[in-house]
Amino acid sequence: MQAGITFVIPIGVYHMYKSLYFYVGSGKPSENNSASSQTAAPPDKENAAEPEPQQLRPDAVITGNLAYDLKLIKAAIGQNSDVNFREFVVRGFQARAVLMYVNGMQDEEQINKQVMQPLMMMDKQEGRGELLPDRLSCEYVKENLLPLAQISEAKDMKDLQESVLFGYTALLIDGMPHALYVGLPNGANRAITEPTSEALLRGPRLGFTEVLSENTSMLRRQGLNKNLEMKTYEVGNLMKKKLVIAYINNIVNQDLLQDVTERICKIDMDYIAESGYVEQLIEDNYLSPFQQTQNTERPDRVISALLEGRIAILLDGTPFALIVPVTFSMLLQSPEDYYERWLPGSLLRLMRFGASFMALMAPALYISFISFHPGLIPTELAISIILTRAGVPFPSVIEVMILEISIEILREAGIRLPKPIGPAMGIVGGLIIGDAAVQAGIVSPFLVIVVAVTAISSFSIPMYSAGITLRILRFAGMIFAAVLGMFGTILFFLLICIHLTKLKSFGVPYVTPFSPIRLGDWKDLYLRAPLSLMRRRPEMLKTQIKKRRGK
Amino acid sequence: MFKRTDDKITSAQAAIFLTNTVLGAGILTLPRGVTDVVRTPDAWLSLLLGGVIVMLVLLIMVKLSQQFPGHTVYQYSRRIVGTVPGAFLSLLLIVYFIIIAGFEIRVLAEVAMFFLLEGTPIWAIVIPFVWTGAYLLFGGINTIARVYQIIFPISLFVLILCYAFSIKLFELDHLRPVLSEGLVPVLKGLKSTVLVFTGCEVAMTLTAYLQHPKQAVKAMFMGIGIPLVLYLLTIVMVIGGLSLDSVTTSTWPTIDLVRSFEIPGFFFERLEFPLLVIWMMQMFCNFCSFFFNASLGISQVFKLRFHPVVFALIPAIFISVMVPKRINDVFALGDAIGRMGIGLFFLVPVLLSVVLIIRKKGLKQSV
Repeated sequence: MQAGITFVIPIGVYHMYKSLYFYVGSGKPSENNSASSQTAAPPDKENAAEPEPQQLRPDAVITGNLAYDLKLIKAAIGQNSDVNFREFVVRGFQARAVLMYVNGMQDEEQINKQVMQPLMMMDKQEGRGELLPDRLSCEYVKENLLPLAQISEAKDMKDLQESVLFGYTALLIDGMPHALYVGLPNGANRAITEPTSEALLRGPRLGFTEVLSENTSMLRRQGLNKNLEMKTYEVGNLMKKKLVIAYINNIVNQDLLQDVTERICKIDMDYIAESGYVEQLIEDNYLSPFQQTQNTERPDRVISALLEGRIAILLDGTPFALIVPVTFSMLLQSPEDYYERWLPGSLLRLMRFGASFMALMAPALYISFISFHPGLIPTELAISIILTRAGVPFPSVIEVMILEISIEILREAGIRLPKPIGPAMGIVGGLIIGDAAVQAGIVSPFLVIVVAVTAISSFSIPMYSAGITLRILRFAGMIFAAVLGMFGTILFFLLICIHLTKLKSFGVPYVTPFSPIRLGDWKDLYLRAPLSLMRRRPEMLKTQIKKRRGK
Repeated sequence: MFKRTDDKITSAQAAIFLTNTVLGAGILTLPRGVTDVVRTPDAWLSLLLGGVIVMLVLLIMVKLSQQFPGHTVYQYSRRIVGTVPGAFLSLLLIVYFIIIAGFEIRVLAEVAMFFLLEGTPIWAIVIPFVWTGAYLLFGGINTIARVYQIIFPISLFVLILCYAFSIKLFELDHLRPVLSEGLVPVLKGLKSTVLVFTGCEVAMTLTAYLQHPKQAVKAMFMGIGIPLVLYLLTIVMVIGGLSLDSVTTSTWPTIDLVRSFEIPGFFFERLEFPLLVIWMMQMFCNFCSFFFNASLGISQVFKLRFHPVVFALIPAIFISVMVPKRINDVFALGDAIGRMGIGLFFLVPVLLSVVLIIRKKGLKQSV
């Protein structure tokens, strides 16, 4: 009978896992239908055109007849109250012209000085002897009239309408069958600030912003390198967004690059709100509690990852860039490890490994020692713990759960509180409730120590999302410990090891410097070896140029 | 490069695989098992001798396997002796692996119930353990080897630590006199020392998965050399620390040794707890190796898919765990396994090699 149960349950679990995996995976384009959506760009165009198919022919060209063009455009986008049409006359040619822009997204001063002024003030006499052509041509306007660096032409009517709505300032002149973009979108932006989720004591104070072009420029400004390549893709079916894949051309492994590009192209979503969307759509195993991309706000972190042979994915509208592939050890590293001298860097890193082990295992160990094996800890310690627990009416599992869950709630509440209230809640939550709970005899003081140490340990993990993973797993560990004591804790540890070993991030084994063992990469694992010793890029990424230094 | 097929292992991984297959129950049972038979402090001599014999056995197995690169014993046995006898030999091997797997878990459960979980029903210990093993098996040999690579250094570290601290108790006199009663007890001890190396039969399947099959002999010798050294250390330390008489009377002498001293100031005071932890992880590796080989065998002999076979073997292993009634039955089973191992050695590698040589040299057939 028992054998039967032993047999049936894993099959059930296995099938549940499989079906869950397929269910979750059904939202993602799988290998089978990849052929239908090889590139994201072409189908996008058609989808976007759908809302207004009656008003315009999709392949409408700009005729050069201003009145007709304008009518067409107004029919398509004129109903938006924030779209402005400024009509005027180009003085030298007596040609009618119109400027189109969206309120608040044009650069007022630049338009006035560099576009309106030359066009409206120009006289034939001012040509300084040059002969003016009878008709305005696009080239002439670009080359002689508008003193602008950033100027481009619209491809067709649809492109023109979309771009105007996106914030470009467009210029149409009667008799000229082209539309010119004379101003870039210039909406309100946040100033560049220090990255809040990854603050450092020592290191650049620069953090990414929401503007993609600023972010890529920050990457470029990290140093001169003509091999730093960035490729732009458009993602999102309904609302298109730009996505940039950045890598260093002569370092990155080409197979890896191809893999990443393919996965990006397969993204099929109507709107990509944040790089977290991208992360969830391109990761290898979407049922794993471990993240398979690293998100960061720091350009310096991105650049050093690129130099190791990794690939960065930047999305417009979010300050968080993704780094792939990620390995387990990266989650416990901070750029500061490299900025400080190697000895403190190594010690801090070792401490973080210890802290993450504590954050994962401490409550589980507490439960298994207290409930199952008090004999395994030193006798005096066991006695003092048991004395403090004498008044506690719950088994240790419930006791730990109560405190752990309230700590988690406290944490969650603290994130969203306005800054002035935050510390007050910390005092109420941490000090008053903790003390009162001990006084009331619900929990033992020793447990408060354990839980507090666990919480502090989990704060020391540099990646916020990695911390969340450990928090989830901590509860799983507590359940294992509650059922089978030390034996359960060992099983839990083994399960995590097995899972991590099976996990891959873009084809790179997740725990790679540990296993498969690459001793060369151990210099940058527990310890941060002196820079002079780190002569090679990580072996695991199979880069094209292995050495970091010239000689 | 990034999409490699995951069924090859490096030589280092193979060595660790074999080490983790062999190094297991013996850490706790070996000292008593040997001294029971030998009854002189020369137990370590029989272990050494046993190790050398096992290495020779291993050499035959590897050489045989190297004749068929990329094929496991389950596949090439039928090519040598024909489909039905080959399948029969493979089946013997599979049953043997299942019995050992059950035995390993049983020993683990007995120790866990004795030291950690008094009063817990045995199935509650066995079932999650088997399930965890099955989860590991789904990853294939590459994953298994890599998990071993994580676990083995931890085990090694703790084991060495334990023995390093027990040097305090070590007295050379306990190991003297050497060869007081001649070679006879040493040879008698061979029986039980060869037993601790049961499991080296996996070499016949491991060789097929090597990335560089030419290094197989080296890798396998490494794989058997590490446990040999560790076992030797165990016996020397346990007998030297506890003396012959107390070793023979205690059930788990190694744990008794580690229990018998305290390290003041250290959090655990006694190293018994870390030792038990790594021993359990080591047992897990042991069990998974046999489980994997049995599943692999069945799936290759009957040409089935691997995953259903793993599921089907879960209850089989569970039943083989539950067969022995008492702990003495378990030890009796252990001895029986040893005898089976010797029998299988003559049946499988020796027989196959002889047949192969006759067919190749004598009858000039191409196999």
